[in-house]
Amino acid sequence: MTFSPALLPLFMVVPLCAAAVCVVFRGPLVSRTLLIGVPAATAAGGAYLIAVHRTTPYLAHAVGGFDRTVAISLVSDMASAVMLTVTGIALTVSAVHLVFTGEDRLHFVPSLVLMASAGVAGAFLTADLFNLFVWIEVMLLPSYALIAVTGVWSRLQAGRTFLLVNVLTSTLLLMGVGLVYGVTGTVNLAALGGAAARDARTAFAVSLMLLALCVKAAVVPVHGWLRRTYPTASAGVMSVFAAIHTKVALYAVYRVYAVTFDGEHAAWMPLLGVAVVATVLVGSFATFGERRMRTALSWQMVSGVGHILIGPLVLTAAALGAGLFYLAHHVFTMGALILVSGAIEQTYGTGRFDRLSGLMRREPWAAAVMALGIASLIGLPPLSGLWGKVALVTAVAHGAGAWEWVLFAAIALSAVVTLMAMQRLWSQVMWGPPMEKYRPDDAHTGGGGLVDLPDDLRIPRRLMVTSTVMLAISLGMFVVPGPLLDIADTAGARLLDVDGYRAAVLP
Amino acid sequence: MTVAILVGVLVAGGVYLMMQRSLVRIVFGVSLLSHAANLLLLSAGVLAWRQEPLSDRTDLASTADPLPQAFVLTAIVITFAITILVLGFAVIGHNDDTHHAPETGEDHDA
Repeated sequence: MTFSPALLPLFMVVPLCAAAVCVVFRGPLVSRTLLIGVPAATAAGGAYLIAVHRTTPYLAHAVGGFDRTVAISLVSDMASAVMLTVTGIALTVSAVHLVFTGEDRLHFVPSLVLMASAGVAGAFLTADLFNLFVWIEVMLLPSYALIAVTGVWSRLQAGRTFLLVNVLTSTLLLMGVGLVYGVTGTVNLAALGGAAARDARTAFAVSLMLLALCVKAAVVPVHGWLRRTYPTASAGVMSVFAAIHTKVALYAVYRVYAVTFDGEHAAWMPLLGVAVVATVLVGSFATFGERRMRTALSWQMVSGVGHILIGPLVLTAAALGAGLFYLAHHVFTMGALILVSGAIEQTYGTGRFDRLSGLMRREPWAAAVMALGIASLIGLPPLSGLWGKVALVTAVAHGAGAWEWVLFAAIALSAVVTLMAMQRLWSQVMWGPPMEKYRPDDAHTGGGGLVDLPDDLRIPRRLMVTSTVMLAISLGMFVVPGPLLDIADTAGARLLDVDGYRAAVLP
Repeated sequence: MTVAILVGVLVAGGVYLMMQRSLVRIVFGVSLLSHAANLLLLSAGVLAWRQEPLSDRTDLASTADPLPQAFVLTAIVITFAITILVLGFAVIGHNDDTHHAPETGEDHDA
């Protein structure tokens, strides 16, 4: 199988053009086709790239045909192809959910989602640090609008918090890029291969960038923005966000840390270790304190970020691969849980535990999807979480040195605490006396007054399709883990192969 | 050294303004902070050589490094867009940042 590297810019060009088309042609047919079709095409392209990378390790393209040393380089390898596929699939399913809830008819929603997906693809493919900053901004700018798109007051406030946190950290990221250029005279990642391991000043500049990326990834103690912003957005938008923002930041941490430090631990590795353990534990313990479904899930996202960062903490090929596998598992599991919570909220008018009860008799399907999603989060079979945690624990056992037992304890404790916190969520929503009153959605203010719950009210079947698909993917990852773990291991090994990366980008 | 002090002062001012409650002050804070970042980027291209980077007009020995200038230009455009967006948020929100949120009939506890 072959793929011309000159086609790599299409991953950004096609979504951006489609976004422009959606602005001009507002009809439902055109915008829905593009909103679902373009992320699906990205996922298909990513899957094809995975197949290509089984034999060809790297595909590099200098945009515009400039000299390699000054051109913006786009590089695809196994890790970026995996990320393109995972986010592409998650975005497609979320887009279908947006269509089913009718949110795609709100102002410019299809264009905003498509623009964000272009930024995501750019961030995965670029090998230029300044270009990475630009693509992250391309991803974030439409997100600022998406979070506040319905214009209710709480979303406006959440939008401001989200915007200011990201503006501040983007400035920090930019300063880091400036310092890298000042010290080394280049921002090409391939030329910087191992630079931070050789020179302490470069290490400081890169560390500033990594710090900014950690805020964007919601690592404890700089995680507070996630719980305050994501659950305020609608479930469809939250599912889009869950697939992109923190995941792009995590991928950038993987790539920049692995390449610039050339597979050696940075001097601040113990600090990262403390932050990772804190993230894993704070995320799972804080789930207890919530009384709404999607705020509880937002804490589980924080906990997932901690698990994924075990990859760069251990920094072996197996650990990076396990981290990527866990990332894919987390995107699909979290997507399923967010979307099923959204379907319940939309139908019964609230996500609060104390206002929902006894839904299992009315909604056996939603109860099953939620129970299985929770099992996947904890790491129980028959879902992807099991292999995710097995891969992480195996990698830790083979390379974490002194951190081994701390990380084992953190992973195990987090799983037990998550089990207790999430079974509380499930039992309060699904068990108990049947609901008698509810607050139906009001088109203008979001929630209406308390009225009797009609006997025949059920979650519309189409709203259950999307979460079921996400869960089915997680189930699929459990059934055929072998090939997927092989792909993840290859991705991890190539991330650490700095010489090969340099040879491909700067021949 | 002058540039380093200037960056420090701008960051300090920007951080102070971002701690304020009013969104308009925060916008000023964001502007100061991005100015600091732009100066930092420019100084990465060695300030001593600062003639225009046009190879047929200036001696290469005294030409400024064009790459940081391109970085700064891109960063300025992005900051522009964000500033407009925050100002838009400030206008839509009326004075809910300094006073109380308006009665819209929303149930904030749903």
